[in-house]
Amino acid sequence: MFDDVASAAIRVALDGLAMRQRAIAKNIANIDTPGYRARKVLFEAALAQAIADGRSPYTVRPVEARSLEPTRLNGNNVNLDQEILSNIDTGLRYQLALRALDSRYDTLRSVIRGQ
Amino acid sequence: MTLFSAIGIAGTGVTVHRKWLDAVSDNIANINNASRTNAEAFRARYVIAQEALDGNGAQVGGIVLGPQGRIVYEPDHPLADAQGYVQYPNIDLAGQMTQLIMAQRGYQANLAVVDRARDAYLAAIQLGRS
Repeated sequence: MFDDVASAAIRVALDGLAMRQRAIAKNIANIDTPGYRARKVLFEAALAQAIADGRSPYTVRPVEARSLEPTRLNGNNVNLDQEILSNIDTGLRYQLALRALDSRYDTLRSVIRGQ
Repeated sequence: MTLFSAIGIAGTGVTVHRKWLDAVSDNIANINNASRTNAEAFRARYVIAQEALDGNGAQVGGIVLGPQGRIVYEPDHPLADAQGYVQYPNIDLAGQMTQLIMAQRGYQANLAVVDRARDAYLAAIQLGRS
């Protein structure tokens, strides 16, 4: 009952978004580390594909990839402005996904109460 | 159109203006480089901003180099040639400072768009909440 495709997809998305925020935190922490490549988290395309193929969303694992942006002289390619914008975007997506999950629980709650 | 696209579009503007700021600071940092007359002097970098190829925002289309260096008569300079000339970059500091202000204001304007867009999206997410 709590594991319909939509709820499962939202849970996987929340996991991926949380992982993306950790990656952003890690990138900002390493902004001056020589040789550090910015990390980015990918899961949206895989999740959409899983749903389109009729597979369970839980088969999707978020993937941490290295950014291919050009590096600075010290081999580091973290851009603070991009990280902060990505942080805002990820925060909004997280809230939106939480809202969606919450409204599904609301429906169930109404059913349990019988109102 | 992707989710929260206004933030991504303003983000491309932030990136363009950051690169412009980098170019201006590079130009100002090198403005007093002296070089021999037979070498190439530092040339100012100009960032060419253009619309993004996918139509969402802006991007740096390329870097154009400014004019060749100017020759100055300084016989006491250690890099002076036999005739007493050295070469300096042909960069106008006032022009660079103007560009610095434009780049900074553009950067701030794009960040202001991000701020407003975030508020608007947040309001949309909260729509219908009691």
